[in-house]
Formats: sequence, C-alpha cells, structure tokens
Amino acid sequence: MTSITHHPTDETLAAFASGTLDEARSVVVSMHMSFCPVCNNKARRYEAIGGALLDRTSPAAMKPDALQKVLQLIGTDLQAPAVKPEGLLDHYQLGKWRWVWPGVRQRSISVPVVSNIKVFMLRAEPGIQLPHHKHTGYEWTCVLEGAFEHQFGRYGPGDFDEADETLEHKPTICEGAACVCLVALQGNIEFQSGWGRLIQPLLRL
Amino acid sequence: MEEFDPARLINRVGTTQDRDAFVELFGHYAPRVKAMMIRRGASPDRADDLAQETLVRLWRKAAQYDPARASASAWVYTIARNVSVDAMRREGRATPWTEEEGVDLDEPERQLLAAEREALVQSTIVSLPEEQLRVIRMSFFDGLPHSQIADLLGLPLGTVKSRIRLALQRLKDRLGGLI
Repeated sequence: MTSITHHPTDETLAAFASGTLDEARSVVVSMHMSFCPVCNNKARRYEAIGGALLDRTSPAAMKPDALQKVLQLIGTDLQAPAVKPEGLLDHYQLGKWRWVWPGVRQRSISVPVVSNIKVFMLRAEPGIQLPHHKHTGYEWTCVLEGAFEHQFGRYGPGDFDEADETLEHKPTICEGAACVCLVALQGNIEFQSGWGRLIQPLLRL
Repeated sequence: MEEFDPARLINRVGTTQDRDAFVELFGHYAPRVKAMMIRRGASPDRADDLAQETLVRLWRKAAQYDPARASASAWVYTIARNVSVDAMRREGRATPWTEEEGVDLDEPERQLLAAEREALVQSTIVSLPEEQLRVIRMSFFDGLPHSQIADLLGLPLGTVKSRIRLALQRLKDRLGGLI
C-alpha cells in the first residue's frame, strides 16, 4: 500500500509553481510531484494563474531584430527534437554511499550549495532509530523507498516532510525494507544527546 | 480577421513547424515574457534575450503541448519561468532579486495593478482583495520568495503566507474549471 498522505503545503506548491523556491528545495518538491497526481493538479492550477497574469501584463517592446534572431535560431530545426524522458536527478552527480551512523548511509547530490543548503540521499536500515535531533534551518524530505515514522505519522514512498528549526524529532525506520530518502537540509543537524554530539562532525557533508 | 487562438497556433508549430503561426505567437508572447523578465529583475537587454530564449524553447517543445493539460498562456508561463530559473542558477543566484537590485515596488506596482484592474474586471483574479492580489502578483509574476515579499511590504512572514493561502483558496474556488 503506497498511498501518499503527507504533501507539501499549498504555499510551498505555489512557490514551486512560481519558480521562487531554491534549487535544493525544488529538487525535493519535484521528487514528490513525480509521485503525486494531487500536487501536480494543484501546481497546474497555480501555473494557470501565472498564465493569466502573463496574458494581462503590459507588453515590453522587443528589440527590432529580436524576431529575426529567433527565426534564424530555429531555422535549422526541421523537426522538434525527440523527447527523451529524463530522470529528475540526471543533471546531478551522485556521490558514493558513505557510512554516517550504524545502519545509516548517505550519498551526496551535486546540487550547487547556495545559502548553506545541501541535498543528499539517506539510506537507513529497518528498525534504526535516528538520534534525537533538531535543525539550525529547514529539512525537507521526500521518501523514495521504505518508510519512517515520527510524532507526525508514518512517511512512505512519495511522502513529503517539511521540518524547520522549531522542530525536534526522532524518526524511526519502519520494519520491512531499508528507507531511502531525498533530503534538502539547511544549516546543520544538532543532536540532543551526548553520543550524538560526538559523531556530529561526521554528518557534515 | 481570425481570432487569436494560441493553443491552435502552438499545435500548428508542433505538427507542421508552421513559421507563420510561430511569428504570431512571438508577437503576442515575446513582449509579455520580456515584461515578466524585467519584473523578475533582469535588465531590459537581458530580458529581451530571455524572452527570445523562451520563444526558441516554445518552438522546440511545441509538439509536447497538450491543450487538455494547460491553457496556452499557462504553458508559456511555465517555459518562461523555467528560463528565468535556469538563468538565475547559471548566474549562481539563490533568488531572483537581491536587495541592491530591488526596485521601488511601490509606484510601478500600483500602476500595474491599476492598469491591470481594468483588464481583469471580467476575470476572477480581480475579485481578490488588493492585499492578496499584491502578494500573488509579487510571488507569481515578480518571482519573489515569500520572505522577501514580507521584507518589502514590512509584514510578518506569517501574514504574507496566510494572504497567499487565502488568495489561492479563493482562486481555487473560482478558477477551478479553468484548467
């Protein structure tokens, strides 16, 4: 059973549709959208608002040679190029899986780091409890495989979790399969226990 | 005189690479996309280039356009949005606007809203309270992140978010059949 129950907020989808989310968060939202027809419909509705605004805006005159330049550019295209379906992460390089914690591995994703936001995949074995932690910025997560659970419920494939610096949590990986997530993390993770603090430096990418 | 029907024109570009149809699309959309790029912080020259890039992408993607999924303008908007996002990422900017480049939103914003209000009378967008229309416009058209809208308007972030939420709810109620 893989029904999606946790979605991005409407504000987040609207920001996504208007192109104002940073790249790191857009990647995680796009991943959720690739699972979720409900959010796709909402985003399309927001894009329709953009279209309506575009139609009604006062035009800014193009330079006199602009049309000529564009016609030259497309002049060599006889046929629209065949569309190759592309994976969401095709533009990025994926790092090697690295050990970060017993039963937990992480691989980096080469989304350019802007404003101290990193994107990575996390893979944790069933039954693992991640140490109690909070964040210095936001942490957005989309589950790819398996599931985890914390005080706000169970998160399975496609589910989206928006956590910010006000939240402390202690996710547990559900039994069954390993859980793989795509994560955009701003700032750092702060562990609440002495043991966690010891390994904190290891978690920095 | 035939009525301007952008969905049909895009279809003609997509199926038969019809250059006349493309020229018509260019005439309508390029100057509007240019205006959108200027609102997103591009210089007029740069905005002209980005509008050209948008129309080139329109030509190349026309065969993928599905009128059942989106209106022509919504589809062009998504292409323009992607061109603007790609350009910003190429230039290594996190957001469309920086404070140094920020223009005074107050006056042009008021004029634009006034000019648009007439055009929007029949449309549902104008039925939004001005405070909501303003944030929607700043977000969707100007491409400002919510935090920056809050700064520019001197409002708490929560207020900006709730205005956007209210506006979206209202648009959803009224424009539900639009797509």
